[in-house]
Amino acid sequence: MRNTLTIAGREIRTYFTSPLAYVVIGVFLALSGYIFWSSLWRFSELCLQFGANPMYRQQLNVNDMVIRPMFGSMGFIFLMLIPLVTMRLLAEEKKNGTSELLFTCPVTSAEVVLGKYLGGAMLLVVMLGVTLSYPLLIMGSGSSPDLKQALVGYLGVLLMGLSFLGVGLLISSLTENQIVAAVGAFGALLMLWVLSWVADSATVTLATILDRVSLGLWERAGLGLGGATLGDLLNRVSLLEHFQDFRKGVLDSGHVIFYLSFTFFALFLTQRVVESRRWR
Amino acid sequence: MIEVSSITKLYGGRPAVRDVSFSVRKGEVLGFLGPNGAGKTTTMRILTGFVPPTSGSVQVGGLDILEQPIEVKRKIGYLPEHPPLYREMLVRPFLSFVAAIRGVPRRQIRARVDRAIERCGLTSVSGRLIGLLSKGYQQRVGLAQALLHDPEVLILDEPTVGLDPSQIREIRDLIKGFAGEHTVILSTHILAEVTMTCQRVMIINEGRIAAEDTLAGLAARGERTRRVALRLARPPAGVETDLRGIPGVLGVTRDGTDAGAYIVESDGAADPREAIAARAVQGGWGLLELRSLSLSLEEIFIRIVRGESA
Repeated sequence: MRNTLTIAGREIRTYFTSPLAYVVIGVFLALSGYIFWSSLWRFSELCLQFGANPMYRQQLNVNDMVIRPMFGSMGFIFLMLIPLVTMRLLAEEKKNGTSELLFTCPVTSAEVVLGKYLGGAMLLVVMLGVTLSYPLLIMGSGSSPDLKQALVGYLGVLLMGLSFLGVGLLISSLTENQIVAAVGAFGALLMLWVLSWVADSATVTLATILDRVSLGLWERAGLGLGGATLGDLLNRVSLLEHFQDFRKGVLDSGHVIFYLSFTFFALFLTQRVVESRRWR
Repeated sequence: MIEVSSITKLYGGRPAVRDVSFSVRKGEVLGFLGPNGAGKTTTMRILTGFVPPTSGSVQVGGLDILEQPIEVKRKIGYLPEHPPLYREMLVRPFLSFVAAIRGVPRRQIRARVDRAIERCGLTSVSGRLIGLLSKGYQQRVGLAQALLHDPEVLILDEPTVGLDPSQIREIRDLIKGFAGEHTVILSTHILAEVTMTCQRVMIINEGRIAAEDTLAGLAARGERTRRVALRLARPPAGVETDLRGIPGVLGVTRDGTDAGAYIVESDGAADPREAIAARAVQGGWGLLELRSLSLSLEEIFIRIVRGESA
């Protein structure tokens, strides 16, 4: 544990002594800030126009119109920025030969992977922490957002960001080249993100696919062709789909467990990759 | 202290180290000598647990490197060929970081870092960015990094590469200072370095141990034939034939372009110097110089690497 924290601490110091952390945080704040400000502006316009009308007043909800789109955009910005956070974590270590230092020290590869991951996670927390000022701004302006919903939204963004970090770290362990690590992580994340786009039209059931693959044996064995469709499966795996409930302010432990186990699986694979590369 | 039994390492089917066995006693300084690409670095990486051997085993202080890697790594200080440095860090924080992951107790870190900085002559640069240091200073930071936890075993891969002559001397003195207390294995392709720092030498070539001996033992290998340098003021015509007549002499050759300088090669068992001197005085050749030439380590090395019997 001490080793993990030492490695994480060095990682954080490195982020903040290089321009990388400031650029990533700055870009994130500029983009999410602009999106927040523009939706807030539109909301106040609408309030001025229709606020007097009790019929419309019901529909003017600051949570639905400002906070929810803010989380959606944060998720999308993470998709593009997190590969830049993770690209150097293990790739740079290999390129500079400092992995030879780490792996001849009395630390396990799991401690190294976890330390690197925590370093990235700290940056993520700082990035999100600054945006906590957005809901506070709304409160300061006199309107009363549902804070519980906002917190659930934050939890969702954090969990999604953490799973992105896991994927990024895994890709970074596969290469020595930081650009390759960044592009690879972006591609992998985008793929996991858009998986659910075809879900609605993928109505073929999984049982049918298995039947085809097994040349009809599946049906002959009386296992049936009904049940879940391919679209259901894609929805389950998509990193985006699990985020939707958080955005609405609904806390479902199933989604929390999905993100956590997804992250754990990515870290586990990373540790296996790091370990296996030594044996070549 | 270190027990290596028949380790082999294949990189994609190509052997980098083939069936290497040796042992090092506590407090000994062992030199790895070999041409580039002979397998020195791979052997050291196996000893430090950075790469596992394809077959064979390594024990350090009675512990197996594959079975108890963490305990073994605690005993070892390692300076790789390219010093592993985080270029964006300052010298002192970097050393503190390494001390922490090398398992130095938190309270002792400061004192250990101070001591390593002092020992490696880094006091003047301790607050500077590692990436901006000269190659020599970076090498010293690499060495300081290996010493921090006061390891029982020090493994140094070409520790004096990139240093200027006075720095090389300092580092060699430092290494000599470790003998007795620490067990040191260092690799080099500079022969003088071995003569100056090591008690025992291992010559590695094409992944195998070509020779393993003490310095004196290696020098003695050259003694199977003896060579004598001879310089005469007034060499008469036919002096070479004359010299060949001396019992034990195998051959006489001119030494360079100098008139009167000869190399006399003789059987290792017989010393022809006395007879040569007597003959020279008798004939009034004007004996200026008569000295025995021992094979230099360099020549022995080249002979061994080429596979000739020394």
